[in-house]
Amino acid sequence: MTPEAVGQALVTALVAAATAEDPTPPGPPVAGVSGGGRFARATVDVPAGAWVAALRTARDAVGCDFFDWLSAVDELDQGYQVVAHVWSSRGRYGVLVRTRIPRAAPALDSVVAVYPGAAWSERETHEMFGVDFPGHPGLAPLLLPAQFEGHPLRKDFVLASRVVKAWPGATEPGESAAEAGRRAPQRPPGVPAPGDWTPPDWRPGG
Amino acid sequence: MSEPLPARSRGVIALLEENCTSCMLCARECPDWCIYIDSHKEEVVVPGARTRQRHVLDRFAIDFSLCMYCGICIEVCPFDALYWSPEFAYAGYDIRELLQERDDLRQWMPTVPVPPAHDPSGEPSKEQSAAARRAR
Repeated sequence: MTPEAVGQALVTALVAAATAEDPTPPGPPVAGVSGGGRFARATVDVPAGAWVAALRTARDAVGCDFFDWLSAVDELDQGYQVVAHVWSSRGRYGVLVRTRIPRAAPALDSVVAVYPGAAWSERETHEMFGVDFPGHPGLAPLLLPAQFEGHPLRKDFVLASRVVKAWPGATEPGESAAEAGRRAPQRPPGVPAPGDWTPPDWRPGG
Repeated sequence: MSEPLPARSRGVIALLEENCTSCMLCARECPDWCIYIDSHKEEVVVPGARTRQRHVLDRFAIDFSLCMYCGICIEVCPFDALYWSPEFAYAGYDIRELLQERDDLRQWMPTVPVPPAHDPSGEPSKEQSAAARRAR
């Protein structure tokens, strides 16, 4: 099955299921195809309210019996995108089911009842992105220590190791690190500007 | 080593300091911030010509306790001063032993393998095609 056909099959099944169970679907599912050329996957964007129903339909009507992974993408102002990849072990095709949830109080119904294997993925997404999964049997941190504060994969998470150390590239050619470099480090996401996170008079390494 | 390692193994980074111009490109590109370079300017007096300045390397160190072996420093070096060496047995009992200064990095140079021969059925190298174009 081509990715286009897989996505279309899931959308058709979703529309059929919505009219059978609940006459007012919260929004239409949208099929698409991911990038990746030869390895492209079907994508189906569903509203957050139809998340559990979409994955159940993918399992029962489209034959995606294998849960591969679930994670999130921090889309800044547009909230978080939660993505799940499910696979048909018989038909050898997969589909990426996606939904978007708001940035303030992000929460999404748990799919553990549909795919029990999603429990660990949801625990990881919960600790890394701070997304709540109501209905999950135990959202304890999976990888981080229990006392860890913050959500490391959010884009506003500050990388402390980039604050406590001076950038070695700040030195100009012909200078030594003892002389003050004039070049400001190019800051990757998560690295705060000087003074943003530390007291204004604070110097790295000192 | 009992088994020969593949030619492109990423064991340790070797420094050919004669080629280094202390341009700082590797230290700036390093995503782990683990390359430290100190240098100073020196006047080169040539009789009958303008006095020039050149950079002299004072310190070149790679902290292998931070390095993630991405190889960006080797890729970015415009003067071929950094090389991959397949040597990997340099573990220590103290994390500070993984900070290798330029003499430590220099000693890996003899272990750098010769680059693999050009694939005869591949595209001709840029040097070959440029030379052929010039000959025409």
